[in-house]
Amino acid sequence: MLEKRSSTKGVFSTVVSFNRQIGQRLYRLRLEFSGPAAESFAKFRPGQFAQIDLSGAALPPTEKIPEGLRDASGRNILLRRPFSFADVDTQGNKTFVDLLYRVVGPASLRMTTLSAGNLLSIIGPLGNGFWIPQGKKKALLVMGGMGAPPLQYLAKVISANYPDIEVTAFVGAKTAKELPFEGRLDEISQQLEFALREFAKYGAKSMLATDDGTAGHHGPVTECLSQWLVSSAWARDTTIIYACGPEAMLARVAEIAKNRGIDCQVSMEQMMACGFGVCQSCAVPCRVIGSNETVYKMCCEDGPVFDSREVVFS
Amino acid sequence: MKQEVDISVEFAGIRLANPVLTASGTCGYADELGDFMDVKCLGGFITKSITLAPRKGHPTPRIVETDSGMLNAIGLANVGLDKFIEEKLPAIGQMSIPVFVNVAGETFEEYVAVAERLASEKAIAGLELNISCPNVQRGGIYFGTDPALVTEITSAVKKVAGEKVLMVKLPPAVTDISAIARAAVEGGANALSLINTFTAMVIDIETRRPVLANRTGGLSGPAIKPIAVYLANKVYREVARDRGIPILGMGGIRTASDAIEFIIAGASAVAIGTASFVEPACAIKIIEGIKKYCARHSISNIKELVGSLPDVK
Repeated sequence: MLEKRSSTKGVFSTVVSFNRQIGQRLYRLRLEFSGPAAESFAKFRPGQFAQIDLSGAALPPTEKIPEGLRDASGRNILLRRPFSFADVDTQGNKTFVDLLYRVVGPASLRMTTLSAGNLLSIIGPLGNGFWIPQGKKKALLVMGGMGAPPLQYLAKVISANYPDIEVTAFVGAKTAKELPFEGRLDEISQQLEFALREFAKYGAKSMLATDDGTAGHHGPVTECLSQWLVSSAWARDTTIIYACGPEAMLARVAEIAKNRGIDCQVSMEQMMACGFGVCQSCAVPCRVIGSNETVYKMCCEDGPVFDSREVVFS
Repeated sequence: MKQEVDISVEFAGIRLANPVLTASGTCGYADELGDFMDVKCLGGFITKSITLAPRKGHPTPRIVETDSGMLNAIGLANVGLDKFIEEKLPAIGQMSIPVFVNVAGETFEEYVAVAERLASEKAIAGLELNISCPNVQRGGIYFGTDPALVTEITSAVKKVAGEKVLMVKLPPAVTDISAIARAAVEGGANALSLINTFTAMVIDIETRRPVLANRTGGLSGPAIKPIAVYLANKVYREVARDRGIPILGMGGIRTASDAIEFIIAGASAVAIGTASFVEPACAIKIIEGIKKYCARHSISNIKELVGSLPDVK
């Protein structure tokens, strides 16, 4: 049974194995953990997250800073940055984790200069990951943009531990270049059943959608989900939807799940300072079951994965 | 034999094993930082603000990072007095270090009601009166910027606080912080804590809207430290020293060096705030760093260091 969380969080040191550019402004960073940290991060659940201190990372040379980030790039980094992982692997007494990141601000810009052997301070595992209720046979993974990495890891965990569950991934982005996967994606048609090898290697079907039609279906990824629900065989009680991506996408997925009576879990995102429940920044408005009242839950401690019926989307 | 450095302090009659506390709103209600450190090793602990009724707090975004700092507008989100006493106080009783409860409200009556109820709770050592929160429309900083109101609210709370040590937390953005400090002492404050955050704003230039849902927030972190050190020294020289009132210094502390600056400026103890978000166990490192500094400078008792900054230029 996949638990929501592992209770071995702490402040750990980790070593960069590699930091590789895999697309436009897109990187894959592998981190190596030893000792107690290796044990803690081996138990990392898909959808949990970790807070990385990037304040000590160097800026790239000026000519390598994208025009749009020049003003922001000189800003000192104070707070850690939260990341979920695309893969976790244990080899002997070491644990390796892969995270994908896109250069969007001063901290991710500094990340690009990390190289093998660099040490980083990391806090984790934090929060609650995706969980798998009893009796599920079909898992529908819906992701937008940088929401894809934790669902890649979920696909791996399901294929390793739940052979009875069939996984189908619905992968969306604004444009082909923003799909967080390696290789030429703009040649992939929407008819392909196993569009992405990152999911195919776990035996999972996948299909693509882009807002501008540069890869796969031309339109929001939620349209692929709706079409699939019309054209495929599935049963309400044995199907579950897992979603991670922009809030508008999550809201639409939650609506589809509600209309169809399907269980659905969404991974929420909020600005957070600490990540472990003390700063109270990352409030997510939630329903109180059995009343009209709403309360704020904390994305870091109560989430980031929530049952979609609980969340009040803005 | 090398002599052990004594870094314990007497703080308004309370003995602190060391001069490092965690600041209100950055360490939860009790042992939330227990995953990262042994909370019992702290000199003391200050809870997040408690109000009479529960408060949900502001919509998001509630925070934004700035250059070497951050703005927060949480809106005094808390479980309310009843639930605090019922659910959180038992854990505080287990902490075996002095605990201050930060008291906030929208009206005089609310502050007094919360303080009166807490005065009978054995688990707590003192109250920190929050008359300087910049993030609520009523109460908070409104009370903290007028000396007459400061005296009035401090004395009203003092009357019901019984044996509890009453510490008043001062706002930094006032014409003369010493006038506010003096007013608090006249009202019966046993200690002063300073500074709270600065009201500040960040604008998203693409949307031309404030980033925070609350429009403004409180600026904290290393960006405010030199101002906080200056204000601690000002209040120490002009108000606290002659009246024997201890100061709890805070504002941007993240290293032992930062803490020692405040102590030299006149703070008897210091509180760690924003830095705990980044390094949840940094208070413990700071305690160790203070000991090493004292040993290096042949200081056998930290009292020698408090307010050791000369008055002259």
